[in-house]
Amino acid sequence: MSALGTQAAELAAITGSGRRLGRRGRVRWGTWIALLLLALFAFLPVYWLLVTSLTPDDLVFRFPPSPFPARVTFDHYAEVLGNPAIFGYLRNSVLVSVITAVLSVVVSMYMGYAFSKYRFAGRKSLMYFVLSSQMFPQALLLVTLYLVFAQFGLLNTYLALIISFTTFTLPLCVWMLKGFFDALPDDLIEAARIDGAGPWRIFHSVVLPLAAPGLVASGLFAFVRGWNDFIFALTLAGPDKQTLPPGLVNTFISEASTSWPELMAASLLVSVPVCVVFILLQRFLVGGITAGAVKG
Amino acid sequence: MTLELSRRDLLRFSAVGVGSAALLGLAACAPTPSTPNPSGDAKPTNFDFASWSLSEDAAKGAVQSAMDAFAKTDSITISPVTYPYNDYLNQLTLQVRGGQFSGAAQLDVAWLSALAALGKLVDLSSFATGLGYTASGLGAGKIDGAQYGLPWTIGAVGLIGNAELFDRAGASLTPTTIEEFEEGLRALKGIGVIPYAASTKAAQLKDILVWMQTFGSPIIDGGKTTVGDEASVKAVEWYKKLYDEGLIAPDVDRAGARTLFAQGTTALYDDALVGKSAVTSQSPDSGLGDKMTPIARPVLKAGDTPQEVLWGHLVVVVDGEGAQTAAEFAQWVTSDPQQTVDYFEALSLPPTTEEALASDAVKNDAFVAAFTDAVTVDAQPSPLWQYVGYAQMESAIADQVQAVLIGQSSASDAMTAAGSTISGLIG
Repeated sequence: MSALGTQAAELAAITGSGRRLGRRGRVRWGTWIALLLLALFAFLPVYWLLVTSLTPDDLVFRFPPSPFPARVTFDHYAEVLGNPAIFGYLRNSVLVSVITAVLSVVVSMYMGYAFSKYRFAGRKSLMYFVLSSQMFPQALLLVTLYLVFAQFGLLNTYLALIISFTTFTLPLCVWMLKGFFDALPDDLIEAARIDGAGPWRIFHSVVLPLAAPGLVASGLFAFVRGWNDFIFALTLAGPDKQTLPPGLVNTFISEASTSWPELMAASLLVSVPVCVVFILLQRFLVGGITAGAVKG
Repeated sequence: MTLELSRRDLLRFSAVGVGSAALLGLAACAPTPSTPNPSGDAKPTNFDFASWSLSEDAAKGAVQSAMDAFAKTDSITISPVTYPYNDYLNQLTLQVRGGQFSGAAQLDVAWLSALAALGKLVDLSSFATGLGYTASGLGAGKIDGAQYGLPWTIGAVGLIGNAELFDRAGASLTPTTIEEFEEGLRALKGIGVIPYAASTKAAQLKDILVWMQTFGSPIIDGGKTTVGDEASVKAVEWYKKLYDEGLIAPDVDRAGARTLFAQGTTALYDDALVGKSAVTSQSPDSGLGDKMTPIARPVLKAGDTPQEVLWGHLVVVVDGEGAQTAAEFAQWVTSDPQQTVDYFEALSLPPTTEEALASDAVKNDAFVAAFTDAVTVDAQPSPLWQYVGYAQMESAIADQVQAVLIGQSSASDAMTAAGSTISGLIG
C-alpha cells in the first residue's frame, strides 16, 4: 500500500474511531440524562416526603412550594416516636409480612418444583388455574373471605391476615419459582439420582441451595404484598392487630383534616427497616426475578 | 429429564386433597353460633361503641371521656370499635351485615338510610321523647316514622368568608341574591384571590346540589328525580359561567378549599363547623379564626329561603347483645345537659337539645352562634339521602357537571343524562 493510502487508511481509522467515540459520547450523555430523569421520578417524591416531614404545620401548604423548608422542625418525628400505637402497627406488619413471606415461599417452592420437574395429568391446566386467581381484584373476595373467617372465628386474628395475604401471593410465587426451577439443568437431578439420592434429598440438598436467589425474590415479593395491603388489614384485623397501612390512616387522617407532616414522618420512619432488608438482599432479588422472568 | 409421578402417588395425593376439602366443607356447614337477643335487658350490660372520632387525635379525648363516664356510672365496659372516616360506613356495614357488631355507633347523617336498609337498627323513638331535641335534629335521624338515630351534633355545610378579604375588596358579606353574590365575587377577583373555592373536583361536586335547589329544582319530587329540569340546567350553566370567568377554580375539593382558605388564597368556601379547626391549624395567619364569617347562601329572588344542606352526627343502635344499654348510652350522650355542653366545649360541635343550645357556652361562641343563625337555621337533609344508593346518584350528577365544566357537554345534555341515571337507581 502506498504512503498516501496508508495515511488515508490511518486517517479513516482515526475519524472512524472518532465518530465512534462521538457516538459513544452522545450515547453516554443520553444514558445519563435518562438515568437522571428516572432517578428524579423515583426519588423526588421521597425527597418531598422528607421535606414535608420537617416542615411546620403552618408552612406545609405554602404556595409556591419551596424545595427547602423555611423552618425545620423535628416535632413531627417526636410526635410519631412518642406514639406507642405506631410501634404496635409496625410490630404487627413485620409479624404478618414475615410469616406470609415464609409461608408463601415454603408452599410455593414445592408447588413450583412439582410443576417444573414432574409430569402428571392436568399439570398445565392446574398451573393456569393457579395463575388465573391473579385476575380477580382482591376487593372482590373481601366480603366472602370476611364471612368465611367470621364463620371460623378467625376475625381479628393474625391468622386471618396471614391466610388472606398468602392466598394472593402464592400464585405469583409459584410462577416465579417454577421459572427458576425450569432454568436448573436436569442433569444435576439425574446425577444426584444416580448417586442414590431420593426425591426428598434431591430437592432439599441439591435443588434448593441453587434456588436460593429465587426463594429470596419470591419471599421479598410476598413480604411487600403483605406489607402494603390496606383493605384486608383494615377489614379483617381488630384494633390491636392492625398493620401499618390502616394504622397510619386511622391515626393521621381524620374526617376534617389530614396531618400530612406527621404522616410523612411516620411513613419515613417505618420504611427504614424495610429499606435495610432490601439493601442487604438486593443481589438475590435481582438475580431471582430475572432468572424467573426469562424462563416463565 | 422429567420426574414421573406414579398413578398410585397421584391417587394418594388426590385423596388427601379431596379429604381435606371435605373436612373444610363440613366445618363450613357447621351451625352458626346463635346471636344472643337481650333487647329489653333490665340490668346494664357491656356493649360496643363504634366511632370514627375514636381514631382522631382532636376528638378521641372527648369521646373516650363520655364513654368512661357512662361506663363508670353503670359499672360496665364499653368496647371501642373504630375505623377511619372514609372507610367507616363500608366497615360498619360489613360488621353489621355479618353479625359481628351490635351496640351503639356514631353515624354521619348522610349514611342513615344505607345502614337502616340492613334492617338491624333499633327504633329509638321511646328514647327520644321529652328530652328537648330540636326538630331538625330528630328529623335527621328519622326514616319512615322510625327514629333510628338520636342527633349528637347537627349543623350544616354553608358558605364561610374571610371578612378581611371581603373588606379589602369592598364586597358585601351579606349578599342576598345571586346577582349580588356574583358582584361580590368579581370584586374579590380584583384583589388577586380566588373569589370562591367552590367544589370543582368530581369527588366533591355533589356540592352543586344545593345550588340546584337554590335555582328552584327540588332534586326529588314525588319519588321522581327533577334533575334535568330547567332549574337544574340553569344552576349548572351558572356554575359554568363562574368557572369561565375565573370566579371559581378548577380541581378543588373540600380539603383543597380548606387549604386555600387557610393560606388566604381564597375568600370564600363551603364547609361545616367541624372544618374550622382544620383550617386554623394549617394557617400561617394566627388571627384567621376571627376573620371567618358564616354567610347565608344567596337566593335566586329576594324573599326566597336560602338553601342549606344539613350536616351532623347521629348515634344509632344495632340490635343484638347490649342493645338496651347501648340505647341508654345513645340517649345520655346526646341529651345529658352537662355531657352535651362538655362535648361542645371540647370540640365546638353544636348540641342538639334546646337546653344545651341555650347554654352560655354555646351562646358565647360567636362563630357557632353566627353559623347557626345564618346557615343551620335553614338546613335540610339532601333529598338523595333517603335512597341507599345516594352516593351513586351524587356521583352521576358530579361526573356530568364536571363534563360541563371542562367543555365536554352542554348543561342540558349533562343534566338529562344525570337524571336518567338517577331514575334508574331509584327504580
